[in-house]
Amino acid sequence: MMTKDQYIESLRKLKLNLYMFGEKVENPVDNPIIRPSLNSFAATYELAEDPQYEDLMTATSHISGKKINRFTHMHQSTDDLIKKVKMQRLLGQKTAACFQRCVGMDAMNAVFSSTYEIDEACGTKYHENFVKFLTRVQDEDLAVDGAMTDVKGDRSLAPSKQADPDLFLHVVERTADGVYVTGAKAHQTGFVNSHEVLVMPTISMREGDEDYAISFAVPTDSEGITLIYGRQSCDTRKTEEYNDIDVGNKVYGGHEVLVIFDHVFVPNDRIFLNGEVKFAGMIVERFAGYHRQSYGGCKVGVGDVLIGATALAGEMAGSAKASHVKDKLIEMTHLNETLYCCGIACSSQGTKTKAGNYLIDLLLANVCKQNVTRFPYEIARLAQDLAGGLMVTQPSEADYRNPALKPYIEKYLKGVASVPTEDRMRVLRLIENMTMGTAAVGYLPESMHGAGSPQAQRIMIARQSNLEMKKELAKKIARIQ
Amino acid sequence: MPVSAYVRNFYKKKGEKRAMLRCTVKFCGGCNPRYDRGEAYNTVRSSLSGAASFAYPEDGAHYDVLLIIRGCTGCPYLYEEIDAAHRVIITAADEIPAAIHEIEQIASQT
Repeated sequence: MMTKDQYIESLRKLKLNLYMFGEKVENPVDNPIIRPSLNSFAATYELAEDPQYEDLMTATSHISGKKINRFTHMHQSTDDLIKKVKMQRLLGQKTAACFQRCVGMDAMNAVFSSTYEIDEACGTKYHENFVKFLTRVQDEDLAVDGAMTDVKGDRSLAPSKQADPDLFLHVVERTADGVYVTGAKAHQTGFVNSHEVLVMPTISMREGDEDYAISFAVPTDSEGITLIYGRQSCDTRKTEEYNDIDVGNKVYGGHEVLVIFDHVFVPNDRIFLNGEVKFAGMIVERFAGYHRQSYGGCKVGVGDVLIGATALAGEMAGSAKASHVKDKLIEMTHLNETLYCCGIACSSQGTKTKAGNYLIDLLLANVCKQNVTRFPYEIARLAQDLAGGLMVTQPSEADYRNPALKPYIEKYLKGVASVPTEDRMRVLRLIENMTMGTAAVGYLPESMHGAGSPQAQRIMIARQSNLEMKKELAKKIARIQ
Repeated sequence: MPVSAYVRNFYKKKGEKRAMLRCTVKFCGGCNPRYDRGEAYNTVRSSLSGAASFAYPEDGAHYDVLLIIRGCTGCPYLYEEIDAAHRVIITAADEIPAAIHEIEQIASQT
């Protein structure tokens, strides 16, 4: 496995074609806006080195028998699925941000089982291709971005019917050695911190969409790939002279990028789906299921930090013993643990795929994610309720560092006498960061739309709700023939 | 209450000379620990410094004691792959004195 330092050094070797604020970023690793997201990603390597966390953070490869980072593991049991969720909660607790590596793990598990079944049905060699790729990922402990979401253009039209054919990533040229692809993937979490990108189709497809039914992996710095960094609320606070208190979370963060593929070459042995339209939906469904499970771990860990920060804010203001404060903290905990219940439940009910890895219970995973589209918003609302208005009206750190103003701020922003005013400011900024600043991107809209927007889960829930059986149950009890 | 406080409150070190036990330790993954597992390990290790040596598990090695430090009561793992004559489990901070005592008892019988 790579150490944290080895991982960071490995990123320095990538030649990413990355732009931010209209300019090319020559050194993403040390860029103050990007670095917190790198630190979060690096935590997946750092904790794997620590004996206190290795039981969750590592696993035994079913290919090599070696100890590997769990983020590169193919789940071999329901116990593995449960440990995955626990690992994600742990990392959420440690970073209070999106640590980005789940998407690659979920993509790899989905493509691993899907390629096996595609080969079985079509006589292709995709699984062999994928296992070769996976072996390298495990042996070298690589970071993999899972890229699914196309920009999609007119949502009422199929990929092949769009006015602009590039609105879904597709094959534009075929050669004896491989294919060339063009298109774009949106909302790519952690791409800048990844060595490889594993591309998947974004929706189920039908005849006529063959060029769009494509799955493959290439290095993130492949020729033809351009990245445009997504800006976040309050992001430039990181570049200010005083950038400690006001950023809320100085060390950790997350990121998304728009990834443009302009005639990118994919060699044959890196292709995992190529025109078999009826299997595009299988990959989508499995990836979405795994990723909807993931949110029952990572967002819970982030929620743990937010609940803790809210409790501290109450203590610092002297309101911790108020019954409504205690009750709201209980409500936040109840909501957070309900998400965890869903993550654990869909894992415990997982089943073995034909390829041998384990798949979560898809109905329960979709219920999990449906709750995630709601509960973090309520947790954040309660956090803002208890934090009070000072969370958004307190002076800047620059004012606090001004000798003429500091005594006033110290005096008038004081809560409980024994608590330093600066500590109170820090906790309130952390709550601001998580509920409306840079980290809110990961905790709120990502909870809404990541791994699919709410309606996508409702479609899956409807499909798997077994309503006919439920009607028969009712008929029997009601004594209806 | 800090882990060390439990030990101060409940544990009386005996200090007799005895054979050193070869011990190893496994932590649960730590997804939601109710106490500081690292501090618990340090407390056990320092309290038994004259009676037991501790190291992280190595493949193929045999140990007298495997100390399992779980962050909560929900962790079921016994780490059967680790070859150890005895397994001592801690699931809460207030179990540390008993764990130290148990390892001491094993040492006195070895």
